[in-house]
Amino acid sequence: MMSIRPDEIQGLKQAEGFLSLRGLTRRYGNFNAVDDLNLDVAKGELVAFLGPSGCGKTTSLRMIAGLAPSTSGHIVVDGHDITGVPPYRRDMGLVFQSYALFPHMDVARNIAFGLEMRKVGKAEAQERVREAIALVRLSGKEQHRPAQLSGGQQQRVALARALVVRPSILLLDEPLSNLDAKLREEMRNEIRDIQKRLGITAIFVTHDQMEALTICDKVAVMNHGRLEQLGTPLDIYEHPSTAFVAGFVGRINRLAGTASGGLAEVAGVQVAAPGFDGRVEVMVRPHRVSLSAYAPPAGDDRYALAGTVARATFAGDILEYEVEAGGVLMKSEAATRGGEGVLAPGTPVILSWHRRDTFVYAAS
Amino acid sequence: MNTLALPAREARGMSPAAVAMWLLLPIALVNAVGFLWPVVNLLRMSLNESEATGALIDTVSLATWRNVLTDSFTLELIGNSIGVSLFITLLTLVASYPIAIYLHRSSGLWRTVLLVLVIAPLLTSAVVRTYGWIAILSNQGLVANLLAAFGLAPPRLMFNLTGVVIGLTEILMPYMILALLSGFGRLDPRYEEAALTLGATPLKTFWRVVLPLTAPGMALGCLLCFVLAISSFVTPKLLGGGRVFLLATEIYDQAIVTLNWPVAATLSMIVLVLFGAALALYTRALRRIA
Repeated sequence: MMSIRPDEIQGLKQAEGFLSLRGLTRRYGNFNAVDDLNLDVAKGELVAFLGPSGCGKTTSLRMIAGLAPSTSGHIVVDGHDITGVPPYRRDMGLVFQSYALFPHMDVARNIAFGLEMRKVGKAEAQERVREAIALVRLSGKEQHRPAQLSGGQQQRVALARALVVRPSILLLDEPLSNLDAKLREEMRNEIRDIQKRLGITAIFVTHDQMEALTICDKVAVMNHGRLEQLGTPLDIYEHPSTAFVAGFVGRINRLAGTASGGLAEVAGVQVAAPGFDGRVEVMVRPHRVSLSAYAPPAGDDRYALAGTVARATFAGDILEYEVEAGGVLMKSEAATRGGEGVLAPGTPVILSWHRRDTFVYAAS
Repeated sequence: MNTLALPAREARGMSPAAVAMWLLLPIALVNAVGFLWPVVNLLRMSLNESEATGALIDTVSLATWRNVLTDSFTLELIGNSIGVSLFITLLTLVASYPIAIYLHRSSGLWRTVLLVLVIAPLLTSAVVRTYGWIAILSNQGLVANLLAAFGLAPPRLMFNLTGVVIGLTEILMPYMILALLSGFGRLDPRYEEAALTLGATPLKTFWRVVLPLTAPGMALGCLLCFVLAISSFVTPKLLGGGRVFLLATEIYDQAIVTLNWPVAATLSMIVLVLFGAALALYTRALRRIA
């Protein structure tokens, strides 16, 4: 394998993770599809690349797989710089969004393909294909062609085909987006189980925050080709470091305000905003806003705002109110409980939320 | 009028199969008159005999067939025609495949421009294109002058088999490219990427993934080009200069020059049998691919 020790590369920081991206950039003309991406993934971790379409997450994955060239930067795996290594010598398993199963081969031959290319002996290859098929619970489907399988089954074959070669890193490119909602949840957990059981390092590209939060060890939120925040799902959700992350992961109320002297004024409420000056955005998640007929007791660590119900949306498990207060519309939602009615529009209410649930960002 | 009568009228209508039969009837009639009837006539003609003087003997015998199939000249002619046509087909495939792959992967305006360039030769008669090749390949032609400028002795490129092969290959390439393109529907770049990430080198990827997926298009193109090559007349006649003997040119000579119609008819029937054989081979190949 052509490889250079990362410490031999001038100006390159010592790689810390099993997979390290250092200043990875992909430029198309003046447009940076991926812009100076720095990231470390520890061995055995499942990391999500989360972002809206066009944020550069798939391009990053393709650069890691070696299918797309990088304009600059380095990709380091287990201490080896693989930036210039062609995809067929990278030892990565890639599961495509469209599965990309070879239509002219049956399930067993699809899975055996990677072993054949690695010149694994016939007896061993057979055994490993059998194991892989058992791992994804497709025993009995060996002779089926991809076209004869359901979407979920094709997904499993794609996973088995990528895993059977025992790659150093498993790359998943929106693997669940072609499945229906119920199957998606099932496959999501199955992918996580298999990944944990094999202890394999994996990157999971998705635009679905639920997938990222529920099964990944860490989430890398990307926007406009840049890494916005890397953290555990809890970090990302409870301590979003940018307005984009707060808005993209989970639902949120966005209120415009002005800050001075450590306080921001939004919708007639004074919110703590240390270190901010000028126009700010104050955000709070709807389910952290509670709605009551009375103001919270004084001295409580809560902000309160009086308003009237503008709209009520009953969704069975959740009741959402849009409340007009201080010239803005604010959403509040809560799990429904039995024996509760729905407040009519026009009903005066008090909105309140905890200080720690309030995020303040400089307005862009 | 009662609107309730409408469903009843529909029920009286023809079944879809019957509608299809009626729609197929016109083309079936045209084919019967324009193709089947002449073929039956040819078959009848091949059962006649011809006197040494050239006079036609109206009879029903297999004498002409026997003569043709035992004559070493015609046997060699048939063998040659098949061999040359197969070679031209293979050459056309090799020359067209990269172009078709490139076309398949290009998109937008560029693809349209390229497609027009591929189809454009089909809008010109094969006669004109053959004369174009004469201008290029003749002893005072472009290639000869170019080689002479470098002090090289130009090889004979015309009035021999080389000229026929070059001319026919170029003339058949548009058909092959279009047939290949129509068969490339299954070729998704994701398959190649999947193979690459699974450790297949670009060459292995081509052999194991691209080639099998494009096999249906190749089979169709080869069938089409073989049939067109073995039945082509103008190009072998002009570029062969009477020195290349192929089935189509021989049929022309027998029918127009020697006026031996029974032999011409027999050779025509043999070409038809070769078409049938090619079609059967194609069907079998297609079944194996699928």
